[in-house]
Amino acid sequence: MNEFAFLLMAFFIYALVMLLGFISLFNGRWKIRKTIYYLALIGLALHSASLLTRTATSGHAPFTNMYESINFLAWACVLVVIIFERKFSLEKTGPYLWLIIVALMALASSPILPKDITPLVPALQSYWLWLHVSVTLMGEAFLAVAFVASLLYLTTKTGAGEKAEAERKKEKYDLIAYRAVAIGFPLFTLGALVFGMVWASRAWGRYWGWDPKEVWSLITWLFYALYLHTRLVMGWKGKKSALIAVIGFLSALFTFFGVNYLLRGLHSYA
Amino acid sequence: MLRIFRSLSSVKLTLILLILLILLSIIGTLIPQGQELSFYQKYFPRLTGLILFIKFDHLYRSELFLSLVLLFLLNLIFCSARQLGSKIKRLQNESEFFSEASSTLEEKKIRTKVPADLKFDPNLLISALEKKRYQPKISEEKDRTTVFARKGVFGLFGPEIVHLGLVIIIIGGLVSAFLSYRRQVALVQGKTAEIPGRNISLRLDKFTTEYYPNGAVKSWKSAVSVIEDNQVRATSLIEVNHPFKYRDLSFFQMSYGQDWDSPSIELEIKTKDQPIRTIATRPGETSKIDDNLSLRVLNFVPDFQIDSSGQVVSRSAEPNNPAALVEIQAERKPVFSGWVFYLYPDFTRFHRKTRTDLEITIKKFEAPVFSVLEASSDPGTSLVWIGSMIMMLGLFASFYLPYRELRILIEANGQTKILPYARKNREGFFKEIEEVLESLNRK
Repeated sequence: MNEFAFLLMAFFIYALVMLLGFISLFNGRWKIRKTIYYLALIGLALHSASLLTRTATSGHAPFTNMYESINFLAWACVLVVIIFERKFSLEKTGPYLWLIIVALMALASSPILPKDITPLVPALQSYWLWLHVSVTLMGEAFLAVAFVASLLYLTTKTGAGEKAEAERKKEKYDLIAYRAVAIGFPLFTLGALVFGMVWASRAWGRYWGWDPKEVWSLITWLFYALYLHTRLVMGWKGKKSALIAVIGFLSALFTFFGVNYLLRGLHSYA
Repeated sequence: MLRIFRSLSSVKLTLILLILLILLSIIGTLIPQGQELSFYQKYFPRLTGLILFIKFDHLYRSELFLSLVLLFLLNLIFCSARQLGSKIKRLQNESEFFSEASSTLEEKKIRTKVPADLKFDPNLLISALEKKRYQPKISEEKDRTTVFARKGVFGLFGPEIVHLGLVIIIIGGLVSAFLSYRRQVALVQGKTAEIPGRNISLRLDKFTTEYYPNGAVKSWKSAVSVIEDNQVRATSLIEVNHPFKYRDLSFFQMSYGQDWDSPSIELEIKTKDQPIRTIATRPGETSKIDDNLSLRVLNFVPDFQIDSSGQVVSRSAEPNNPAALVEIQAERKPVFSGWVFYLYPDFTRFHRKTRTDLEITIKKFEAPVFSVLEASSDPGTSLVWIGSMIMMLGLFASFYLPYRELRILIEANGQTKILPYARKNREGFFKEIEEVLESLNRK
């Protein structure tokens, strides 16, 4: 089997996981959660097989162009969702995260993104590619969890009837978002900024050059710094915190996609 | 003085600075940096004056941005110093217990509920806490017993460690901004260039470009020698991602190019009554075709274009439309003058000739390949690495080894109060306290 066969199977399993998730969400049957969990594990195994196959054929890291990067981000999100589910239980954030994962994979399969394996340009021939990109995308996967939980926080209405229940849910979203940032922020700092600086200094002769991609990852970092300071020092919680987490992730998305297509700079590969 | 210290160390200032830095950084990515005046006049006609006045054409080095960074640096230092003070006080005040009015400890209002029927056996409490990896200390007085337990002291100072790392990084950045040295040299194989301001020269011994089967560049390799006092001091192979260090200078492979100012050109000249002649020449050189005729290439461009003012320019450095301006003289009088195109030998519109039988074509052309190398030294770099390491250490300590502290007061009448303290993950902390209390109940 080739990478695309594995990928297709993983995609169908993820779509199934998402569907089952929403079904359990709306009819309140939590019993299928175990099924969902094991299905997700199988999906992750297939997805990993696809990435490994591609790595073996290409001989380089599976995140050197837009298609590969989005695909890897989806993989990282699956891994993070599984870790989160196991450690803290995602509850209703789960199905929405699966929606994002399915959407990311659909986006990666878009015909405008070339899927051919291309040899690496000289600048990308470095083991820092592995460290810089994988740790950054891993961090962003955690930040994606915070994004979804925060969006749910902002959209959950505290109706008159089940006020206590809605409050409990919202508190849970708030907590999930914070925990995700608490893990994602150090990873993002390490991968995007520190490893990025180290690699830049080896490849381009300077660790920081105010390239738009560099500046936007700094902006993203500053947003999450704002999130943490308002929360831990000023005691902000709930709505204001959720808003910052949403904006922070939008900034991360812009760093990932927007900079490549809208601003010019050195990071034109992915 | 105290007031200045207060406001410089306030978290409000931190938030304001974070937001301002975010806004300015965004603006800096929307306005392309370091362009010519004409660029801004073209794309920001109404804002050009403003952009130049507040120096948004090089925003990240403008006084406005640098002073914000400086303020941020002071804020970081003062804020951390203040926090450090109160945290050390917290650690020293082991025996102090809270009382609503007199506590010197800044407490958030968090209390856990203690079940009324719970019996506090100090020894059981201690072992329950130890199981959770706390280091409890007990002090018994005649009317009351207090227990002080904590874990993750390293994590308590996590934020200050992060801030220390950031301070070092920012100082490193400022050092780089003002003291770094960066020069590019373009070298053709065999040539030597002096590194400006340094007493050393760099010689390019060999330059090779390797290609993938699909034609894309696989690698550029520059074999170089460092020459000092007319002696070769070091030789190395430089590639992208593999710089070469000599003393405080690092040499990087930046790019490559072709020197179109001195290409070698092979021309073919046909005349009515003579055999075809081939001439190898360079722009500016005069070559004899025969006893009568002499030839000179006045100009050569790899990508012919006529700009708006009627001047011939090269559209790019790629040989998309190579053309040579050729002049042929007979007895010091021009008999032929005009642009000859490599790809379009029949295009003679730009030719002026008095000898109508003359036909000139470009057979071959080749420009010397040069390697662009950068020499740089940046004393700020090592500060940035040290700062980064400290910052990461602090980040992992504060998020993965969170500080937790419990002060428990057992009064003689059995009344018990618990004062928990944690900055992060309070929910998990409370769960842990409940577990400790439950394990007491069971026994």
